[in-house]
Amino acid sequence: MDLVNKVNLRFLILLIVVFTVAGVALYFAMGYVVTDNIDEILESRALKVTQSLTCNPKQGSYGASPDQSIEIDYCSPRHVYKVFSDTAIYDTNDKELIGCRKLTFITKVNDQYYKVQIILSRLETEDMIQVIFYFMISLFTCIVIALFFLNKRLSSGLWSPFFKTLHQLKSFKAGQKNEIVFEKCSIKEFSELNMVLNEMINKIQSDFNNLKEFTENASHELQTPLAIIKTKLETVLQCKSLPHESQGQVQIAYQAVTRLSKLNEALLLLSKIENRQFPDESMINLCELIADRVAVVEDMLSLRQISITLNLDTPFQIRINPYLADILINNLLSNAIRHNVDNGKILIDSFGDKIVFSNTGKSLDIEPEKIFQRFVKQKQINESNGLGLSIAYEICKNSNLELEYNNQNALHNFILSSGGQASAKAID
Amino acid sequence: MKILIVEDEKDLRETIIGFLKIEGYVCEYSETLAQGSEKLDIYEYDCLLLDIGLPDGSGLELIKLLKERHPETGIIIISARNSLDNKIEGLDLGADDYIAKPFNLTELNSRIKSVIRRVKFAGRKEIVAGQLKILPDSRQVFANHQQIALTRKEFDLLIFFVSNPERVLTKEAIAEHLWGDFADSSDTFDFVYSQIKNLRHKIIEKTGADYFQNVYGAGYTFNLKSNC
Repeated sequence: MDLVNKVNLRFLILLIVVFTVAGVALYFAMGYVVTDNIDEILESRALKVTQSLTCNPKQGSYGASPDQSIEIDYCSPRHVYKVFSDTAIYDTNDKELIGCRKLTFITKVNDQYYKVQIILSRLETEDMIQVIFYFMISLFTCIVIALFFLNKRLSSGLWSPFFKTLHQLKSFKAGQKNEIVFEKCSIKEFSELNMVLNEMINKIQSDFNNLKEFTENASHELQTPLAIIKTKLETVLQCKSLPHESQGQVQIAYQAVTRLSKLNEALLLLSKIENRQFPDESMINLCELIADRVAVVEDMLSLRQISITLNLDTPFQIRINPYLADILINNLLSNAIRHNVDNGKILIDSFGDKIVFSNTGKSLDIEPEKIFQRFVKQKQINESNGLGLSIAYEICKNSNLELEYNNQNALHNFILSSGGQASAKAID
Repeated sequence: MKILIVEDEKDLRETIIGFLKIEGYVCEYSETLAQGSEKLDIYEYDCLLLDIGLPDGSGLELIKLLKERHPETGIIIISARNSLDNKIEGLDLGADDYIAKPFNLTELNSRIKSVIRRVKFAGRKEIVAGQLKILPDSRQVFANHQQIALTRKEFDLLIFFVSNPERVLTKEAIAEHLWGDFADSSDTFDFVYSQIKNLRHKIIEKTGADYFQNVYGAGYTFNLKSNC
């Protein structure tokens, strides 16, 4: 539920409460005023009745007026009093009870006591309640309709700077070159929001750049000593006078430093991908790339008698950084070779929206869910640094692709699909 | 052949120079951008080894300078900053090759030779090694006027060995030279072994000479004083 509707809902609930309370209060207030009025009228009539009794004292029975609104009776001497009360009389015409106000009083005129009752219908109050009710309902409806139009205007007008900001933020990526410039707006809250966002974005960008510089520098600082170790060891290996047993030791150190530098490179690559430092993307047909790469490793495959079946007639076009595409295919392909068995097979099938890399191989001794995690590797493979598939996974995440693993028909299947990109296209 | 090495890391620089001197190169060096451009102003070199991250600026500046003065000098970028931007920018500016730290000295040596061949001799120069005559341009190998049919990989391997005679080429260096990114695949060393076996066999068949020597555990050497 969006903000405007949420606010409206609260407003409407509040409005219902207020209207009910106001209606009830109005009813009682009006009722009081009307009763007061009727009582005044009754009083004035009582005065008139007393006067007329004084002027025309009649002997005998008095009885009621024709409309039964006034009833005068003799009565025995007693205290003079006056009392107002509510009553109802049966209207023979309308065949219903009508609420009335009755004034009963005892008066003494020329030594004769009279008991007088004056009745006045208060039909008007009931009409009044109806009027109030309908008035309230129609007012309420008017307000709801007014709110509806107000909202339309608000969301298109008042809220538009907010939505513009939101739209700009959606396209924001740390490390991108083009800066986000928010439009100026006259609403204080929104301009404050934009200001805060601007500060935040600047902070993110500078943090990002610092981090990027740090990774770059770490790379520089590490690679140079590694290069020195490696070249020194290589020089020692070239030395002909080196005793046989030392040569073995140097060789082991050399292999270790080679592994170390590859590990360092892989970790750097991972952090660079995570930092989105490969922004330049272009449309690439992965099928062509795969065919290219397979040609490079053909001799490796034939040596291990691994048969490879390519089914790449359906092009698989995706938006991706060309360098990352290269690494992605390299890693998936070398994974399929590395974990294969002699006389095994590799199948690569393109379906237009996905490519499936399948290979024979030993069963996993790790949990399948962990296959893309860093430093998770099969026990029997030592040379692997356990980062190849993590890098492939990160590349996919970075390029809005999906990479899944399953084990079906005794094959390890890696499914590369254009999931995120396809839905992005649909939105466009 | 004269080579200028622009590298601020003393240890690395001296190791490179030590290695290249044995190859018969005349090596000079500079530690900074300023020194480098001064040297390039005065002297002429066959090849420039250039580190991009220098204390007083980016080595890329030197490429521009050199391309104006002596375009026939080969340029190889050595960089720890294995960032693509630098690589692309460097090659765009006219560098001939790019090698990332840490590298194998034998690989560097092979690249230097290849660059010099390309730049100085437009790749037309033939390489003679023992009884072998290699035409890098057309990727052909002859022994006693008979062509030896080699696969792509075998040819690359031969060039790599011939560029580094009497050096120990480690299995790692060979694997990286032949397969690049695939080099860390398991059993790569088996592939290296089988490639060398095939190449060796083909050369023995045509020349009767076995130039390859197994250095136990470490790798192989290409030895022209062959033991027939």
